[in-house]
Amino acid sequence: MTAPFALFIAVGAGYLAAHVAFDWLGRRFLVVSGAEYLVLGILLGPQVSGILGASVVTRLDPVLTLAIAWIGLTVGTQFELSRLVITPARDFRIGFSSSVLTFVVVAALEFAAIRFGGIAPQFDAIVIASGLGVVAVSSSDAGFSLVTSVVGSAGRVFAQLRASTMLSSLVAITLFALLLCWVHVPTPLDRPLTTTEWAVVSIAIGALGGMLFHVFLGETPERDRLFVALVGGIVIVSGAATYMDLSPLLSSFCFGLVLVNTTSSPQELVASLTRVARPFYFVLLMFAGAAWQPIPSIWILPVALFLAARIAAILGGARLVARANGTLQEFGENWGLALIGQGRVALALGLSYLRQGHMPGRDAVFTAAIVSVLLTEFLSARAIRAVLVRS
Amino acid sequence: MRRIVVLALLIGGMHLIGPLGSGAYGSRALLAFGLLILGAYAAGELADAMHVPKLVGYIVAGVALGPSAMNFVNTSAVSDLQPVSSLAIALIAFLAGAELRWSELRERGGVIAKILTAELLVTLVAVTLFLIALRDHVSFLRGNGTVEVIAFSLVFASIAIVHSPAVTIAMLNETRANGPVSRTSLGVVLISDVVVVLLLTGVLALARILVPPHGADVPALGLGAVAWEVGGAVLVGAVLGVLVTVYLKFVRRELFLFAIMIAFFGGQLSGMLHIEPLLTLITAGFVTENFSAEEHGNALEEAMSRAAAPVFVVFFALAGAQIAVAELAALWPLVLPLAVVRGGAIWGGSRLGLRWGKVTESAHELRRDLWTALIPQAGVAIGLAAVVAQTYPNRGGQIRALFLALVAVNQAVGPVLFRRALDRSGEIPPARPAAEVDAVAPLVPT
Repeated sequence: MTAPFALFIAVGAGYLAAHVAFDWLGRRFLVVSGAEYLVLGILLGPQVSGILGASVVTRLDPVLTLAIAWIGLTVGTQFELSRLVITPARDFRIGFSSSVLTFVVVAALEFAAIRFGGIAPQFDAIVIASGLGVVAVSSSDAGFSLVTSVVGSAGRVFAQLRASTMLSSLVAITLFALLLCWVHVPTPLDRPLTTTEWAVVSIAIGALGGMLFHVFLGETPERDRLFVALVGGIVIVSGAATYMDLSPLLSSFCFGLVLVNTTSSPQELVASLTRVARPFYFVLLMFAGAAWQPIPSIWILPVALFLAARIAAILGGARLVARANGTLQEFGENWGLALIGQGRVALALGLSYLRQGHMPGRDAVFTAAIVSVLLTEFLSARAIRAVLVRS
Repeated sequence: MRRIVVLALLIGGMHLIGPLGSGAYGSRALLAFGLLILGAYAAGELADAMHVPKLVGYIVAGVALGPSAMNFVNTSAVSDLQPVSSLAIALIAFLAGAELRWSELRERGGVIAKILTAELLVTLVAVTLFLIALRDHVSFLRGNGTVEVIAFSLVFASIAIVHSPAVTIAMLNETRANGPVSRTSLGVVLISDVVVVLLLTGVLALARILVPPHGADVPALGLGAVAWEVGGAVLVGAVLGVLVTVYLKFVRRELFLFAIMIAFFGGQLSGMLHIEPLLTLITAGFVTENFSAEEHGNALEEAMSRAAAPVFVVFFALAGAQIAVAELAALWPLVLPLAVVRGGAIWGGSRLGLRWGKVTESAHELRRDLWTALIPQAGVAIGLAAVVAQTYPNRGGQIRALFLALVAVNQAVGPVLFRRALDRSGEIPPARPAAEVDAVAPLVPT
């Protein structure tokens, strides 16, 4: 059997099996679909069957960039000011504080393990630990729609979980972009740009892109035309960020942020984006699986520590922050459990880190991200429901 | 105007960031891709405002941004973006097949066959005779013996008669036209693709006997291989269509992703099995449309159209980027009369076919307008020219250059003529009020 034909059969069968099986499982057991594509990607990739060879994955690099950028864009469109202003400041405070706490705890523990375990020199250990800390921050939002259809979307806790998830994505995307600005590859310029200057460039690409896009588009009477122009806009923004070795996630996030806050019909914009968000996510999952490589045994401890430290940091941080803001009784002791699930943002961060050729410990950070997605995303809806029911 | 200003700013921005990047793999192609989409979009809107088909705007943008003019989308980017073109052709073929109804084919099949036979034969003969007559002015014929002149004229004519299903489908999508001219032209164009592939294969086989190629890396095609190329395509396409039908009946999820997968894997599969890719997907579309429940078929068709919207823009812009303006400028004294002869032959041939088919329903409109749908050339035509260039490496380049120049003319003129014809025949529904189009408010607050 030749490779393309095997690919056709495997993808077709996997696609059908995944949908039929997970559709049923999702409805029956409140399980979020998606991780199955990651497994499928690993099975098809060079490490198992070799049907999706390394060269294929490399050739599809622009598609992966686009898929990553699409995730940043959809996250950016969640920050619509008209909705944000009616959210209590306390929700943001809680979400922001718990995200920062998670980053600090995971990064510190990882640094200690990597540096004092003799796995990497100090600078590399700081970079890798920061990368792992950034990935740890993001929480999956995939469970919300599933839970909404079962128990509804009302209530204080639900609102807090939404705000915390949004802010976790914002914090993770921003910190990751800053990390790339800090550890940037040298450019042929006479004077190398500083971290701050790179950060400004990252944001400016998205923000200017968003503003120019409005001028470009003018009135948009049809959804298909809006979609075509959006594809053009996001391709340019992500292409520019990737060209300069910056994070396409932050630039596309800013692009989405500007767009959703300047349009008179944000719902149309979001509808245009979300209708292809799932296919893009599935493509990302499959090729992320194919891009995975086994890590040397010395990295197993940091990856295991990542999983344990993240859960501890989220649960402990959420409890601490809720107590400090006087909402612990209302939310319940373990409300942080609903934030354990990791999904598209974590995967996009892990894959972005992997694709930065100059970063140390790339396979370890990526492995931590995909293991975490595999282990936690499918249960995220159940965790959210459990917290909501308990509260 | 504001779109052009924004594009100029984007181009300036791209120059500005030039020294700031290492150009990570694929990032240049992404930038070129983005610029191409926005440039083509802007040109398409401009064309629409001037009552010219949008796809002409896309092509013009491709020429302007491509290697022949500003070179923002250079040859390497064009080559990097080829998978998008292949995907576009596959989607177009599937959509085209889905447009064909069995009942309609039964009803009109005979007429379509007669129109096609007459039109193709008349055009083939006219173009061949034209080239033979002007043999001293045609680079790949000059100084050759009679047998070679006839063989190469015939080879050129057999690719010059090709039409463009892509343009026809894109135009019918854009205008939402429906009526005798649209339906008949779609049928003729789709079936002609199969006939042209068969004809070219036969003519090339004959040419190989008359003028054996030197240094060609293509083995001679036997009758069995040709039969497999066509028969295998129908067979594989039918199987693919049945699988799609089963999916639509039992799963019906993620149709957008599924549509892309079908187009992608249909194309891959045909390449792997050495079968005709267009025919494979046309058959798959045809089987899906005619064997699925109506609402299922419509849902998939809608998902495919949605996937095709940005792909069309890129496809035609890339087709524009591939036009070698310098070669066209050098060859225009030959190309323009050639385009006129081809157009005249299509006009005469289609009228002859209509008379032969004894068409009575909307006969006047068909006689007046059908030929315009047969003028455009794109995508497939370029692929066929590449086959000839591969078979005759020494002369293939000259044949290809002249042919691409002819395609450029027909690509620019054909859609305009077809759009006018659809307008004139009253098959384009009146524009719906903006609010009714899809109830989308303007994106920019006004």
